[in-house]
Amino acid sequence: MKKWIALLLCAAVISSWTLCASADGGVVTYHGKAGNFIFVPGSAHSPTDLFADFKNVMPGDSITGMITVKNDASQEVKVKIYIRSLGAESGSEAFLSQLRLRVRKREDDRMAYMFDAAANETAQLTDWVYLGTLYSGGEVNLEVILDVPVTLDNEYQNQIGCLDWEFKIEEFPVEEDDPKPPQTGDAFWRSGWVGNMCGSALTVLALVCIGTTKEKWKQRAEKR
Amino acid sequence: MKKIKIRLAVAALVAVTMTFFGGQTLAYYTTVGKATSVVTSGGVQFLIHETTDQGTPFPQEGVYILPGDIISKKVRIESDCEHPFYLRVKIVYGVDCQTLSAEDCFKLDINEAYWQYHDGWYYYKGIVSPGETTPDVFSHVQIVGSKVDNRYIGKTLQLTVVAHAVQSEHNPIEDNNTYTASGWPKE
Repeated sequence: MKKWIALLLCAAVISSWTLCASADGGVVTYHGKAGNFIFVPGSAHSPTDLFADFKNVMPGDSITGMITVKNDASQEVKVKIYIRSLGAESGSEAFLSQLRLRVRKREDDRMAYMFDAAANETAQLTDWVYLGTLYSGGEVNLEVILDVPVTLDNEYQNQIGCLDWEFKIEEFPVEEDDPKPPQTGDAFWRSGWVGNMCGSALTVLALVCIGTTKEKWKQRAEKR
Repeated sequence: MKKIKIRLAVAALVAVTMTFFGGQTLAYYTTVGKATSVVTSGGVQFLIHETTDQGTPFPQEGVYILPGDIISKKVRIESDCEHPFYLRVKIVYGVDCQTLSAEDCFKLDINEAYWQYHDGWYYYKGIVSPGETTPDVFSHVQIVGSKVDNRYIGKTLQLTVVAHAVQSEHNPIEDNNTYTASGWPKE
């Protein structure tokens, strides 16, 4: 019995891994009803770290990362989402001031960056900037580009720079005259579905086996 | 009196109902979440290994020498970081006596197949990849008998290996000469 439970847990964990692994870069998920945001992937430095790609950077690097903001609230609500920067945390200013950070919505390739300044500054994100209205399942992608100057001095080796951003959600009920929720752009994800189906099949198999074993035990007990 | 009470109750009920449904239409939640994102910078780091022919660490306290001795001392450098780098090495000589010089007291068998001399430094000809250890810079030190005379009796001669590294990423070189790389640390 314990073995089966362990197997089931393993299957569930592996299944969840396959789902998590599908997201590149940072993900901000809002779950609705004024609940908390979930920030992934996090890191050893911060549990809410969205900069998965900006680690161990070197002079001359120019790295593009992605942050996806998702509305996971129920079908009855739509959310307006905003972002603002609080700038560098204390002790990070000197290092981050050497780096250039640019942010824009991926859908707006031809639009100017909503943030283009030294990474320690709040600049154009000092006040709340509206990112869009998201229906249930909707998402908006932010492209974040970090440029490290090739002239970065030796004193900035092995530094850690912490940068605070805030996300704000305003949740509204969906009205009758609202447009139909837009497509999220998620393509059919074959490997994920296959993984999940395998996980489910394993679970069903395990349950059947457990049921059969129990039945046998019952029968044996009755015989005795 | 009873009628008034009933009317009041009905009115209150209507008001509560209207407030309930009206609330559902007008009210909205607002929530704010803060993400602390982190940028970290890398660096180049290395370890200098000094060993004997037997592979044991070269004694830190030094060895006793006589003029003409050939000492086994292998010097190589191991990458201790996640980034590739160019490398250069300098040998600095010293003696614990102001009136004497340690120059020319040592003769090293520099491994010139891998190390190129330029302007006081031996430059590794390639790139040191993460986790890689270079070939020996030199493996033996000869004590030059004609130089180390009686004046050096009881003195301590020093041979110090100094190494510098600079990242090879985004750092082009000319004619395959690693000394042309940018960003070598100041001496």
